[in-house]
Amino acid sequence: MGTLALEVHELVKTYASRNNPVRAVDGMSFEVGSGTIFGLLGPNGAGKSTLLRMLTTLSRPTSGTARVLGFDVVKSPLEVRRRIASVIQETAVDLLLSVRDNLLTFARFHGVNQAKARSRADEVIDRFRLGAEVDRKVQDLSGGFRRRVQVAKTFMVATPVLFLDEFSTGMDPLLKREVMRQIRYEARNGRTIVLTTQILSEAEELCDDILIMNKGKQVARGDLNTLKSLSQEVYEISMTFESMPEDIASELSTLPVLRANVENNTLEATLKAAEGTVLELVSALARHRRVLRMEVSGASLEDVFLELTREEA
Amino acid sequence: MNAIRAMLYREGRIRATNLVFIFWDLFYPLAYMLVFGVGVNAALGSPLSSAHLDYNSFFLGSVLAMASFGIASNTSWSFFLDRDNGIFFEMLTYPLSRSAYMLGKVLFTILVSIMQAAITLALGRLLFHIRIRWELVPLVFAAMFAGTAGWFFFYSIFALSTRRNDVFNSVTSILYFVFLFASSMFYPLEPLPRWFRVAATANPITWQIDFLRYATVGLGNAHRVAQESLLFLAFSIAAFLYAVRCLRGQE
Repeated sequence: MGTLALEVHELVKTYASRNNPVRAVDGMSFEVGSGTIFGLLGPNGAGKSTLLRMLTTLSRPTSGTARVLGFDVVKSPLEVRRRIASVIQETAVDLLLSVRDNLLTFARFHGVNQAKARSRADEVIDRFRLGAEVDRKVQDLSGGFRRRVQVAKTFMVATPVLFLDEFSTGMDPLLKREVMRQIRYEARNGRTIVLTTQILSEAEELCDDILIMNKGKQVARGDLNTLKSLSQEVYEISMTFESMPEDIASELSTLPVLRANVENNTLEATLKAAEGTVLELVSALARHRRVLRMEVSGASLEDVFLELTREEA
Repeated sequence: MNAIRAMLYREGRIRATNLVFIFWDLFYPLAYMLVFGVGVNAALGSPLSSAHLDYNSFFLGSVLAMASFGIASNTSWSFFLDRDNGIFFEMLTYPLSRSAYMLGKVLFTILVSIMQAAITLALGRLLFHIRIRWELVPLVFAAMFAGTAGWFFFYSIFALSTRRNDVFNSVTSILYFVFLFASSMFYPLEPLPRWFRVAATANPITWQIDFLRYATVGLGNAHRVAQESLLFLAFSIAAFLYAVRCLRGQE
């Protein structure tokens, strides 16, 4: 690991509550190298956004320390803010300004001069397909479009760290793909991306390094392969039959199935068994029936996520 | 400095591209002078005819104080707007300190109120032939500066510590009524009942109005006006300190 973008040590955030205080983040410690796409995953209420709020200086930790590029979020918040751009979970745009003014204003706050901001805005407008609406006030645009403007703003500046809290909310698939391409491009150029998401395929596709958290604590950490290896002997099968066998439900009930879904003539199931056993089970299911398509694969990030967070729950 | 410039740019773009704000900030107090001032002057006459001052001359300082009070209230309401738009919390992650955020907002507000004051003075002279003491005009701008800042910080306390827009609007409506009518804004205090005079004398907007009345048309006692301006300064500093504390508590 080269330069460290994030250093978090024993970080705690407690919220006062009438009955008992809630530890939204409970002693998290981790480091993230520069140029990494770092994913924070966890179910609702896991503490991801609270952690991000502390890292972006929005919220003060109850105890512990967090540093962004060596600057302490409590002692040097301004130095931290000079080095970050963030997309918070809620839609955040200046509704009374036009799309272009939103981009230019954001750049101004980050000290980008007017000429550079204008040329950069043209690029971002093009990349985010904002051209048709560029002079309209954001209050006249749809929710998805507002989110698009919000994410586009962070590409107006070249801060070394970018925080994205569920960035793809409300985005159409085409735009999402383009933003993901941009994120990869920025990371290749040394920008550190810290993202939270509920869409595991996004994390699977983007992240070099993933931390799964639940109830304010770290549950697992590593790259995709490391995490998948945590979920030993979990396999996903997908079988499309010419016609769905009538006794499939009773047959499945005898198998070590974690999850199963039958739709039309396709069975999708997650099995927890040794590799040899899984192959035998698949052969048994295929016997005496015409199978049009069959696929057996190792555990997905979703399987790992569900297994780890269920154990913790 | 860059952060404050950026704040001024943002506030400027929001105000300049929205006609409603221009109306409320620049023309609403003028409308008071044109309608209320002319109406009272014509129908009831001047309460200061012995001093050879018509009602419009008496009312000029009030309009200026009303402008700084109203503009400050509008800008502090923009905390709600920013919070509802989500931009408030995003801005707290921008490279600016929380005091720079506050300072940027207040400087812009002051700039608008000074523009408003210049327009009001010019129209007061042109339309109503008010004998303005031009040599004291720098004091008018100083009073607009300090007054707008004081009222902005005062209102910001409510805007930052109230979560609901409707609660804030109710509070400001009540404050608007109490501050403006229990003061020397519309009438001289001397003929009023004692309890009213006491309330009005303790009202910070009376202090600002008295100063502005002295600086525009020379009405009032210089010693008393100086005392009141010191009180207003203390009020503004206390409001500033408490407002910054409220802003620091936002997370």
